[in-house]
Amino acid sequence: MSGAAALEADTRRTPARPLIERLAGALWRALPVIVVCIAWQIAPSVGVINPDALPPLSAVVTAWWGLVTDGSLASNGLTSLYEVVVGLGLSIVVGVGAGVLMAWYAPVEAIVSPLMKSLYPMPKSALIPVMILWFGLGPNSKIASIFAGCLLPVVLSSYNGARGVDQTLIWSALGLGASRRRVLWEVVVPAALPEIMAGIRNALAISFILMVAAEFLVGQHGIGYLISFLGDGGVYDAMFAGVLTVSAFGFLADRVYLLFMNRMLRWRE
Amino acid sequence: MAGISFREVRHTYRPPRGKPVLALEGVSLDVPDREFLALLGPSGCGKSTLLYLLGGFIPVEGGAITVGGKPVDGPSPDRGIVFQHFALFPWKTVRQNILYGLEKQGMAKAEREKRAQEFVELVHLKGFEDSYPSQLSGGMRQRVAIARTLAVEPEILLMDEPFGALDAQTRALMHEELLAIMRRAPKTVVFVTHDVREAVYLADRVAVMSARPGRIKEIVDTKFKSNARGEELLQTREFADKVDHLWKLVRDEAIRAQGTRA
Amino acid sequence: MAGMSDPGRREAALTALRVGSGLVFFAAWQLTAMSHVFSDFLLPSVPVVFERLWHDLITGDLLYGIVLTLIRTFIGFVLAAVGGVILGVSIARVPLVRWFFDPLVSVGLPMPKIAFLPIFMLWFGVFDTSKVLMVAFSSIFPVIVEAWAGTQNIDKYMTWSAMSLGVNRHRFLWEIALPAALPQVFTGLQVALPIALIVDIVCEMQMGGEGMGGSIMTDMRFADSPGVFAYIIAIAIVGMILVKAMEIVRRRLLVWHQETQTA
Repeated sequence: MSGAAALEADTRRTPARPLIERLAGALWRALPVIVVCIAWQIAPSVGVINPDALPPLSAVVTAWWGLVTDGSLASNGLTSLYEVVVGLGLSIVVGVGAGVLMAWYAPVEAIVSPLMKSLYPMPKSALIPVMILWFGLGPNSKIASIFAGCLLPVVLSSYNGARGVDQTLIWSALGLGASRRRVLWEVVVPAALPEIMAGIRNALAISFILMVAAEFLVGQHGIGYLISFLGDGGVYDAMFAGVLTVSAFGFLADRVYLLFMNRMLRWRE
Repeated sequence: MAGISFREVRHTYRPPRGKPVLALEGVSLDVPDREFLALLGPSGCGKSTLLYLLGGFIPVEGGAITVGGKPVDGPSPDRGIVFQHFALFPWKTVRQNILYGLEKQGMAKAEREKRAQEFVELVHLKGFEDSYPSQLSGGMRQRVAIARTLAVEPEILLMDEPFGALDAQTRALMHEELLAIMRRAPKTVVFVTHDVREAVYLADRVAVMSARPGRIKEIVDTKFKSNARGEELLQTREFADKVDHLWKLVRDEAIRAQGTRA
Repeated sequence: MAGMSDPGRREAALTALRVGSGLVFFAAWQLTAMSHVFSDFLLPSVPVVFERLWHDLITGDLLYGIVLTLIRTFIGFVLAAVGGVILGVSIARVPLVRWFFDPLVSVGLPMPKIAFLPIFMLWFGVFDTSKVLMVAFSSIFPVIVEAWAGTQNIDKYMTWSAMSLGVNRHRFLWEIALPAALPQVFTGLQVALPIALIVDIVCEMQMGGEGMGGSIMTDMRFADSPGVFAYIIAIAIVGMILVKAMEIVRRRLLVWHQETQTA
């Protein structure tokens, strides 16, 4: 199994153990992170590392709190959240629809598939300048970048998921009298769900990357913009705080999605 | 002398998550030199575990296993092993796979090339020396595995359901090949299987193991008085009776094993 | 054994299909441009873009940019490859290393590592060093994960066979573990290379200077839309070539692997 799948399987297969045991286990796993945090605090404080280059953890935390209290974290965070939700959401709606329909109706595939295949090797972030050209320097260019970058992975996984549905399942449903359209939405889509959801998880990570990259380049507003703004202004402890915040959100988003995905796919072995 | 001796061997399987399970309990058994012994039993009875303990791949915790009087201490070329799924080195050709053990023994180049070629021919794979395992059929791969193990001339041959992954026809051919090889260079063989007919056909003695926790239930002599070989032997009354006897022994254990499936 | 020309014929058919879909794509583009649904600025026609591409090719600007981008990408990629394999294998085999890096890797994997770009700029300036290190930092994760998994999941029975045949503990890593893990390690490298390219381009876009990313941003600022589209195509082609090159290397390196045979 692939490396990333092995990591995920690890998080999935934990049986229900007593709470104390699980907390202790979580603490043990978090210990290296704690060690890093301690080192982060001590090294710049005593001067082993230049504190201008790497502010001590306490300074970063203080700056982070400052960003929270003056509202800039919240307002920029919300902008970024909005961009991701709209961009990713659109890509999911369009992508799942297109992918599933491609797998089910041959004419759709004939038209869309060649386009998909030729666009596949396109490195997604390179589309940002085009989006700026089209939508100017505003939230729309960022949303469009996210949409464009997330679309293909979602389409592909939906397509593969739908194609991979066991023929015998489809035949059984048809044999029980369901129309082709009903079979599509009531049998194929649920059966394809694991792969579709895996594709969306992938797209989620991509959406964060594109959000940050687009905000670096477009500016205006958003947490990526905030980070580069603070960096340009020399306010490094706040800049670090911003970087950590967006990284944490990327991580949390993935974990939350994983929980959601496992919930939805409970029936999977 | 390569006689094997098991004395009160016990083994507990400890999975990383979950409760420990007693796999083997009080297994005692003697295998004289040059005997072909089959370990027969239902799935999960611990027969493979016993083989791995003998091979030195798992440490012996309870009881003792000795070979020629000396306790088993880790794997060694003296106890060659053949696995069900071949375990060949996929990045090496047939010849390179067979050469591997010979290289480890520090044999001179010319000599080991010669030896490897001998064993390629012994298992009838001449012409395939430079093929990769992925290019070969299941039966051919198993022959490579056997050649690889035999090339280092172990005193004892351990076989873990070696023909289980092959189709019935190939399996029958492999039986004949194995017997032919054993006739040319007899060794002590410990052969794990759950197939009663295979055990009766190949082995001198069959040790029937109970369901988990595994114990030796009964040992049955399966040397044949009849001079028949191959197909003929399989049709004799003698063969059928022995199979029947053993099948009855195994069946009870198989049923019990079904019930305790975790 | 099936005729060896079969994989060759399949490859040719696949390439033909790709070229065909590329042609369909450009045809669709050209038709849309000609219909003037969008302005010439938003969607320049295909000939205009290709003319621009050709022009930059002749003046040498295009190749210069490609070479710069590729050099940075490769250096970063090699750093990630070497570091990632060493780290991944160590995580699989040394418990202390695993204890330390396991949480760091699983936390780091879903993070948008591009967010660290300002930090790298702070530490290493706005020239090549920061770009290369950013590339390495972003692309090392898939290599670590695959090298780790590949080394960890080696077939137990193959290991036991090697032990039974007399392998030395110290030689085991080189003789058995690494060759066995190679398919998965190489998969990690195949995932990492496109990441390396795109991260490098993003860095160039952000920091400016020369290279494909810098050129595309310059063109954008000058509202030179044929230029922007030309560079997008160039980037896409470079990306395709890199991916194809990796596939070819994989087939030669892993000629023994099952998937090559059943292709």
